[in-house]
Amino acid sequence: MAETANLATAPNRMAKRDPRREGAAGSRRVFIRKETLIALLFVLPGLALAILFKLVPLLRGIWLSFLETRGFEDPTFAGLANYRTMLADPSVHDSFRNALIAFATLPVWIVLPLVLAFLLFQKTPGWKFFRAAFFLPYMIAPIVVGIMFRQILAPDGPLNAVLRAIGLAPLAIEWLNGPTSALLALTAVALWSFFGLGVLTYLSGLSTVSEEVVEAAKLDGAGFWRLLFHIIMPLLKSVIGYWAVLCTSGILIWMFPLIYALTKGGPGTATVLPEFLVFTTTFQFLDRGLGAAIGMALFVFVAIVSAFVVRRMYVEGAQKK
Amino acid sequence: MTATAASDKMTVSSMRIVLARWLVTAVLVVLAVVTLYPLIFTVINSLKTRAAYSADPLGFLTDITFENYLETFERMKVWRLLLNSIITTAGGLVLSTVAALFIAYAVTKLKMRGGNYIFLFVIAMLVIPSQVIIYPLYETILDLGFGGTYQGLILAYAAFGLPLGTYLLSAYFRAIPDELIEAARLDGAGDIRILFSILLPISTPAIAALSILNFVWMWNDLLLPLVIMGGSEKKTLMVGVALLSGQYDVSIPLISAGLIVALAPVIVVYMLFQRQILSGAIAGAVR
Repeated sequence: MAETANLATAPNRMAKRDPRREGAAGSRRVFIRKETLIALLFVLPGLALAILFKLVPLLRGIWLSFLETRGFEDPTFAGLANYRTMLADPSVHDSFRNALIAFATLPVWIVLPLVLAFLLFQKTPGWKFFRAAFFLPYMIAPIVVGIMFRQILAPDGPLNAVLRAIGLAPLAIEWLNGPTSALLALTAVALWSFFGLGVLTYLSGLSTVSEEVVEAAKLDGAGFWRLLFHIIMPLLKSVIGYWAVLCTSGILIWMFPLIYALTKGGPGTATVLPEFLVFTTTFQFLDRGLGAAIGMALFVFVAIVSAFVVRRMYVEGAQKK
Repeated sequence: MTATAASDKMTVSSMRIVLARWLVTAVLVVLAVVTLYPLIFTVINSLKTRAAYSADPLGFLTDITFENYLETFERMKVWRLLLNSIITTAGGLVLSTVAALFIAYAVTKLKMRGGNYIFLFVIAMLVIPSQVIIYPLYETILDLGFGGTYQGLILAYAAFGLPLGTYLLSAYFRAIPDELIEAARLDGAGDIRILFSILLPISTPAIAALSILNFVWMWNDLLLPLVIMGGSEKKTLMVGVALLSGQYDVSIPLISAGLIVALAPVIVVYMLFQRQILSGAIAGAVR
């Protein structure tokens, strides 16, 4: 910024001191202006997309959250009424409580792919096959995953058949019908579809770790877990942080198709997460104002979490001075 | 005496290593089974007759039938849904990448006041997910006259793919020396030519990674097409699958066939681009 500003004013000063150079300075200014014009032209389509389909809807969402909208009647201004309704609404409480419970599983989301990546990193026999197999679920649409697992988790489905076969019959429950087990099942299915990305993310982080470090620690007699927790984890701190952020936002905003396919939020409100509540409030109960208010509440959380990702992107992609 | 003790110790420790290796392999195999079984289960179900499925839902195939696939294709109008998915995904992918290319070029290679602010503005849009603004977004698309049209979904896809594309391509362009552009400019090349015939070919790895990522989420997305297209003729494959599974008279083998049809294109892409996807370009790209 400062540099370009200098470039634009420098010819001016020169021109004052030396009138003979006015012609050259003028053409330089024209050149800069032309380049700026082209640059503006180039960023225009992208800016239009970002403003029209992200910023404008966000602003309209904020405005909508202050309106009273019942069914198809004309909306009226209602101040903070939707937010008051939201704060008093038990299903809103439930949805955020469910999200908190889902967050309690985050350590598994973070550690499981790390352990797997570290095993693969040590070139275990067949590691290429395992790497390909683990990543496959991530490629499959969550809606397809959800419908698939409705069969797997059915009372007489394969999961319960296996549990009965290995003598764990008491565990063979109606997974999607109990409030606790349904939320647990939903989170587990999400983890199934998502952990492969974690394995790949960690593997690309591990590729920066030199093998000598690992070998030296092994010669010192470090076992697998000590190696993992004391050598590898400190080296991968930033990758782990990034992956944790990704998982957190995943639990907040990537569960919609899974909920839609598996439980539709039930039983009761046991598997309603905030993003699903925004959808049902808006399109099922047609309370668009309240839906927008819940959306804004969710937005605050998502924005805080993903701001970390944006900061990282900016540091890497912005012009360095 | 001491020699045998030492060799005993050796065998014990080498046995432990062998045991640990087997244990690791066993754990990985179990996890791979957990990962792959749901898919295999679905494939098997899709090839069973209704009668065979209700007689033994968990059993292996006794005889194979393609009835379910034929019925899915007819009932879901699969060809039409495939066409819709291809048009919207390809449109969103291309528009998003081209818009990102222009921005990345402008903010990294052109002298521009506030280029960094524009870059920041575009990538900051990442904090606004479709889920929290879904109704106002739908309203905006309706106001523009794009409700239930390909254009509406394509523009939305392009906008939501833009932050990541802009970031990836900007970071990539930064690493390309400015001298290359200066030299081309001295040869009389304009900005469009520099961008498309010099930078674009060099950036193939970044564009490949970006395209794979965008393909996967645009093809798989449910919320945007569900809201923008609804149940219309122009709905995508994923919406079709979601609606099919909601119908009460649909059998499990039939749904399974629908699921396999829906995920087949992604599997094909995965097979074709396995090397690029697994080499870490994708995971590294998101990072």
